[in-house]
Amino acid sequence: MSYLPSQRSRRKLATGLAFLGPNIIGFMTFTLLPLIFALVLAFTNWDLRLHNQFQDEALRFVGLENFTRLLSEPNFWRYLGNTLFLMMGIPFGIAGSLLAAVLLSQDLRAGSRRNWVWLIVGAVLISSTGILVMLGAQVPAMVMLIGGAASLILLSGTVGGKTLYRTLFYVPHFTAGVATFILWKKLYSPYTGPINFALSPLLDGLTGAVNTLPSAGVQSVAWLLVAGMFALLLFGVLRLGHWWAEGDISQFGVILGGVMILFPAVMGFRWMPLPVLGYLSLGAAGIAVVLLGFKLFNAARVFKPSSLGEGLGGTLMFATVMMVAQFILLGLTTVIYNLPVMASAPGGLEPPSWLNNVYWAKPSLMIMAFWAAIGSNNMLLYLAGLAGVPPELYEAAEIDGAGRFAKFWNVTWPQLAPVTFFIVVMSVIYGLQGGFEMARTMTNGGPAGATTTLSYYVYMEGFETGRLGYASAITWTLFGLVFLVTLFNWKFGNRYVND
Amino acid sequence: MKWVFATALILLIAGGAATVMTEPDLGTDVPVIYWVTDRNPARLDQVDLFHQWLIDEGHTTPEGRPIVELRLDIATSDPTNSKKIIQSVAGVASDVMDCDIGQMHTLGVLRDVTEDAYRLNFGLDQTYAALAPVLTRDGKQYGFPCNVDINSFWANVGTFKKYGMDPPPQNWTIEEFESIGREFVKRANPTDGRQSVFFSNTLGDWQGRWLFIALIRSKGASLFNETMTASTAGDPRVAEIFQKYYQWTFEDHLMPTGAEVSSFSSSAGYGGPALSLFEMGNYGMIIAGRWVLIRMRDFENPPVVQVSYFPVPENGFDNDVISTRSAAVYKGSDHPEHAALFLSFLASNPYNRQIVDIADGLPPTPAFAETEAYIHPPNHPNEWGIHKPMHDTAKNRSIAKAMSPFIAEGIVTRHMTQAIEKVLAEPQLATPQQAADVMAQEINAEIALTIRESTRLEEQYTQLVETQKKIDAYRAEGKLVPLEWISNPFHRKYYVEQGWALPEGIDDQGGAK
Repeated sequence: MSYLPSQRSRRKLATGLAFLGPNIIGFMTFTLLPLIFALVLAFTNWDLRLHNQFQDEALRFVGLENFTRLLSEPNFWRYLGNTLFLMMGIPFGIAGSLLAAVLLSQDLRAGSRRNWVWLIVGAVLISSTGILVMLGAQVPAMVMLIGGAASLILLSGTVGGKTLYRTLFYVPHFTAGVATFILWKKLYSPYTGPINFALSPLLDGLTGAVNTLPSAGVQSVAWLLVAGMFALLLFGVLRLGHWWAEGDISQFGVILGGVMILFPAVMGFRWMPLPVLGYLSLGAAGIAVVLLGFKLFNAARVFKPSSLGEGLGGTLMFATVMMVAQFILLGLTTVIYNLPVMASAPGGLEPPSWLNNVYWAKPSLMIMAFWAAIGSNNMLLYLAGLAGVPPELYEAAEIDGAGRFAKFWNVTWPQLAPVTFFIVVMSVIYGLQGGFEMARTMTNGGPAGATTTLSYYVYMEGFETGRLGYASAITWTLFGLVFLVTLFNWKFGNRYVND
Repeated sequence: MKWVFATALILLIAGGAATVMTEPDLGTDVPVIYWVTDRNPARLDQVDLFHQWLIDEGHTTPEGRPIVELRLDIATSDPTNSKKIIQSVAGVASDVMDCDIGQMHTLGVLRDVTEDAYRLNFGLDQTYAALAPVLTRDGKQYGFPCNVDINSFWANVGTFKKYGMDPPPQNWTIEEFESIGREFVKRANPTDGRQSVFFSNTLGDWQGRWLFIALIRSKGASLFNETMTASTAGDPRVAEIFQKYYQWTFEDHLMPTGAEVSSFSSSAGYGGPALSLFEMGNYGMIIAGRWVLIRMRDFENPPVVQVSYFPVPENGFDNDVISTRSAAVYKGSDHPEHAALFLSFLASNPYNRQIVDIADGLPPTPAFAETEAYIHPPNHPNEWGIHKPMHDTAKNRSIAKAMSPFIAEGIVTRHMTQAIEKVLAEPQLATPQQAADVMAQEINAEIALTIRESTRLEEQYTQLVETQKKIDAYRAEGKLVPLEWISNPFHRKYYVEQGWALPEGIDDQGGAK
């Protein structure tokens, strides 16, 4: 009996390798080898100005020097901060794409002959308005054009059904990125852009309203918001304590979640518009800590979690939502408290100077990314996920008397957990790596570095400064970060999915 | 399926072969050199002109054709030079490059053309004297200008007349600049509503950086010390200029803020959107070089223009920043002798005449800027007042930018840009003095890093630091400083003008060395 493969098997193997060969060679040449090379490079002082085929400076291995320098470099932390700030938009993007997918999975067709007539009349009207705009008709024609186009799209959906909407929603994804960025740059134009054009009358109205009301009356809303923020804080920590008592989460989960939930209140000490509110914020944080401690020490714990990471995925998701919600309330508090002063200024309330303002530049990019995320691949993944939810689960829920929201919360959302998990992992990876094209096209990393992300920093150090060794160290640090976050997601998020 | 794959493979191989077969390089029997340059239609004419010049000068094959074929590479040209840098260090750059010689020399990728310049008559004596620090390193020449530029304020006479004002004088003080500017924006804009007419374009881009250097010099300051071993950007006089920038933008509204710039819906093009706004009357003046005429002449109604030179400050130190788009030969070129011929062409009669005619900056050879064709271009009487003053400025009061060998120019630019952005940010992120201090600290940190990495530069640096100490000691004692100790082009001229320097070749006893 021969152990050698038969001639037929060998031929099959050769055919297989012939097909795989180009890909493997390509992968090794253009991915694997550069990857290894970059890793080696990160431990050298390779600087294009000193080390190239025309220079005779010796290349030195510098050990961890590039990494230690990186960690002591204020710009690195600043750009990491920018990257993480931009990533705060990810949950909103995911929620948006889920909402879009849910809407687009409904059957919207209600076609009739009358709809067709409306559609044709609408198209004629829109074309006429378009011609007016081209001939120089200004604002009213443009407003008519935008409004008419929106109506036409809605009407087309009733005739064409969800396929049309799905196609329209996905359009941003197959539009070239740079073109989209330039378009948004125009939309954000402070004095002539349509966004501020639309905001101006609203803000004028608000200015009038605020100016007619007594300042104290307006500012009392800020106090309500602070109360809301504290309520969220206490609800959050008590919930954590409750889960701990139930054995749903470990001490580690309580501590991590607690720190996240307490964070906005601690920052409120610095960011609140009035010192007294700052002290109240700190006081609320103190009370929350005491309450949580009391709960932890006194609650009779019936069940004990099996491991440190028990329930961590859910805890993190809950804590993130609580944290973001508190930050939103904190921001609104500051804005509303200062509203009377801003409204009484000579120009009244003015729309933001989006990309030119240090504080608005990052949110501007996040809003744009949110818009792009709604109609992205995430939406397609959710659509596919929704198609895979067994209808009998909905039927069972209906028999149990579940309403629309209850069906979504108890059937759709858990069934989509694996898709959500995949989307979260990929979004976090892209979020950490991304931001370069957007910042390069729209802001050049400015104003004053406000939108410079880590990937932009790699470009600056590698290709503008020429320090390839240092740039490689940044990329590997970034890789480490991505790896850790993904590992964390995988370990705890995956469990959440399987739960 | 395998037949589909096989067919695709065969098609790809056939396509690849067809591409190789039709490569232009294979279609010529003379050497081909490539020139990395900007996307200007005039370059095509310059290629033809070069081929004709080769024939006229006798650089031909036995059949009478040019001995080398020049081709353009405009794809590699980018504002940050990153493509050129990567190609150069990888050994595959084009033979001739329009580049920042200081930056590319630091990489060691440029060929020393001193010998060629002497032999082919494109030495330093063929161009503006102030450009010597730009074209040379350690006494060796590395390139020759394709054109020369002096940035100045261009006033649209029609816009000023529209608001009942005379255009600004050719030489003016900062105080005059401010008072004329305030009057202009007052007359040009409604008392309520958004300001849409500005005295000049924004200070937040390259024009702002250029003006910044000229202004700090006018106060006797520089970004670098005399030996360029350290940054002196933390000097309070530098902060004063940052303060002026803030005042002009946010208090006097002479220049637009970033938000106002992005609200203009103007198209870009060669020279950028500012030029369109200048034509439309949104800017009374723009900061630019002579090259703006390339586009301005294409306007439907080319404006009557006048140039103004601005920095005449308390110290009375008139200066202007001279710059050049210079061509250099790549060290790894297969045809360095042919590339050198191209540099020789840049000093030639036909090339300079063409630069004069198309107004692509000042001609590299100053003699051509003294011709009637330059001073009074026959088809453009609206420009007659501007050409001579530009040439005079380049010749008499211009100074090249100080470029330290210990830091890449791009990094200095980045820190300067960030400092200006911090001061002009909404809301302001740093006070003028803080911005100046941080800029100095960051530049010095970069220098320290470079020195640590390079033993060659470290030796040079150590020597220069010793020289700097001697300069400081001499200045403290009120002694005259030997000019050869100073490498910063600004300080060289400033020391001479202030009477602080000993001329080169003279010892401190007044005798010849």
